[in-house]
Amino acid sequence: MSGTLLLQSALAGLTNGFVYALVGLGIAVIFRGTRIINAMQGEFALVGGMAAYLVLERLSLPLALAALGGIAAGGVLGWLTDLLLVRPTRRRGGTEESFLLLTLGIAFAISAGVLFIFGRDSRLLPGIGGETSQIFFDAAIRTHALWLIAISSLVMLLLWLFYHRTHIGLSMMAASIDEDGAASIGIDVPRMRTLTFLLGGLVGGLAGVLVSPLITIHYEMGLLLTLKGFAAAILGGLSNPFGAVVGGVTLGLVESLAVLSVSSGYKDVIAMTILILIMIVLPNGMLGKRARKGG
Amino acid sequence: MKQFANEVPSSLPASPLRSARYRMWGVVAALFALWAAAPGFASRSVIDMLVFSGLYTIAGLGVAFLLGQCGIVSLAQSVFYGIGAYSTAYCTTHYGWPAPAGFAIGVGISAAIALAVGWPVLRLSGYFLALATLALAIIGQVLFTEWDWLTGGTLGIGGIPQLNLFGFVLNSPQRFYYLVWPVAVLLLLLHRNLLRSRTGFAMRAMRDAPAAAAVLGVDNHLLKVKVFVLSAVLGALAGSLFAHYVSFVSVDSFGVDRAINFLLLAVLGGAKTVLGTVLGALFITIMPRLLSRFGDIHAVLFAGCLIAAVIFLPEGFGGALGRMAERLRARQARP
Repeated sequence: MSGTLLLQSALAGLTNGFVYALVGLGIAVIFRGTRIINAMQGEFALVGGMAAYLVLERLSLPLALAALGGIAAGGVLGWLTDLLLVRPTRRRGGTEESFLLLTLGIAFAISAGVLFIFGRDSRLLPGIGGETSQIFFDAAIRTHALWLIAISSLVMLLLWLFYHRTHIGLSMMAASIDEDGAASIGIDVPRMRTLTFLLGGLVGGLAGVLVSPLITIHYEMGLLLTLKGFAAAILGGLSNPFGAVVGGVTLGLVESLAVLSVSSGYKDVIAMTILILIMIVLPNGMLGKRARKGG
Repeated sequence: MKQFANEVPSSLPASPLRSARYRMWGVVAALFALWAAAPGFASRSVIDMLVFSGLYTIAGLGVAFLLGQCGIVSLAQSVFYGIGAYSTAYCTTHYGWPAPAGFAIGVGISAAIALAVGWPVLRLSGYFLALATLALAIIGQVLFTEWDWLTGGTLGIGGIPQLNLFGFVLNSPQRFYYLVWPVAVLLLLLHRNLLRSRTGFAMRAMRDAPAAAAVLGVDNHLLKVKVFVLSAVLGALAGSLFAHYVSFVSVDSFGVDRAINFLLLAVLGGAKTVLGTVLGALFITIMPRLLSRFGDIHAVLFAGCLIAAVIFLPEGFGGALGRMAERLRARQARP
């Protein structure tokens, strides 16, 4: 195995890792704010990517506006999901299972809807910096992938600041940690949950916009993306915002290096085996202290 | 669960209750007559659909039992369904072994895998367990595709012989219909009995108050593993029957969407009632067909039904029916 090949697959793994990290970040945001594992995080990305594509191709607006449109579409979807579907379920005494099934159901509906409206075609967005690549020691990486890594890192930092430095971020955390306590000091708990879904949707939409120049968007992409993102979030620890990035990059690197030694068809088997093993062996992830119940 | 809630002290006036019971037997007899006569008047495609309802009832029963009695969300049933089907397909076509061998090997492999995987994985709970089983389903789907020396990959395995019961070849949907439903009903009855046994009580205790159950001497983890293995056996059985029925199996039938369908069936039917599984299985086979007349949008409508059911019928059709029957009986019991 040559050094270049190794470096090349490490770079590919790093890129994939940040994709998983972005999806995982959205899952972690929603889990932190509502204690719901959102099985439709990948669909936020699907809708974000599709919306960006439509703005770009049908309205022929510039890429920056298309990206904003995609992110906004994810946010609106998250907001509507909470308002129209999660809230009524909660009023009727939703359990963990019912929220999981609800978000799975919405994921199907969206996937089927995208299939109905846009068909089976895969679509690609143009990346930042077009098709150009950067060369490191004979190994190439798309310029867009570097932007993806930079933007993901920035988003992670902003989220950390949001949750630790802003009034509304702290209120959101309080609402999820102690519902009654938060309500008694004047925090509007249902509104904080809605905002959490909005934020998760925005992150998901951003993921879609950033991913679609690298991975084609098509109606079936959501579920696997959700699972990989979930693996990333779990791997790093759901409670720590840096967790998703550490987990995502680890997952991406292991996946792409493992593919060097076994057939690439087994890539998902490796990722899913890691997911299961991590949940059993490291229930709090690599960075988490006390992240979750269960396990 | 329902049966216990409805047990009425004997001091109440008996006559309205007895008439209600007669009526219930009347309904059962009418349903049985309808079931037995269906192949006479229904079209071949309708019977074909009902055969699938029967197969899904068997596999879904395992999922519903895990969910309703143990509170475990399993998305891995497609794996066991696939193992059953591929065992039958491989043993009957490659080795030319008789059908029972295929059934036995499928059930054996499924039970062994469920035991080996379930032992560590069932230490998890809630979302994490659900997603671990979903990960298993994905692993299963990939392996079914990649191990093409065994499964035929995307091309599949064809030419699986029809089942032959004492010289009577089950070569039409009508004939298979009369096999699959009695098997399904037998399994439903066995599960009902299991629910009423000590083990059944232990399961519900574990579901509702795990700590209290442990104090009373229930080995929660072992019990969960046992039910998981039982569920896998049902999945493999349904898979073997499926392989004999359609005589061709390919990886398309054992994907993650099938696993999700089995879970939907359990949730829609109402996992706490054994009978709900049948309603759920009928729903997920009949509904897409009814909706398909609306054209390509039927998948969206089906997902919409699912979302509505999760929000408005948290106990599923079985739970809703049970509540309706209870209300009816309460009205009748009023002097």
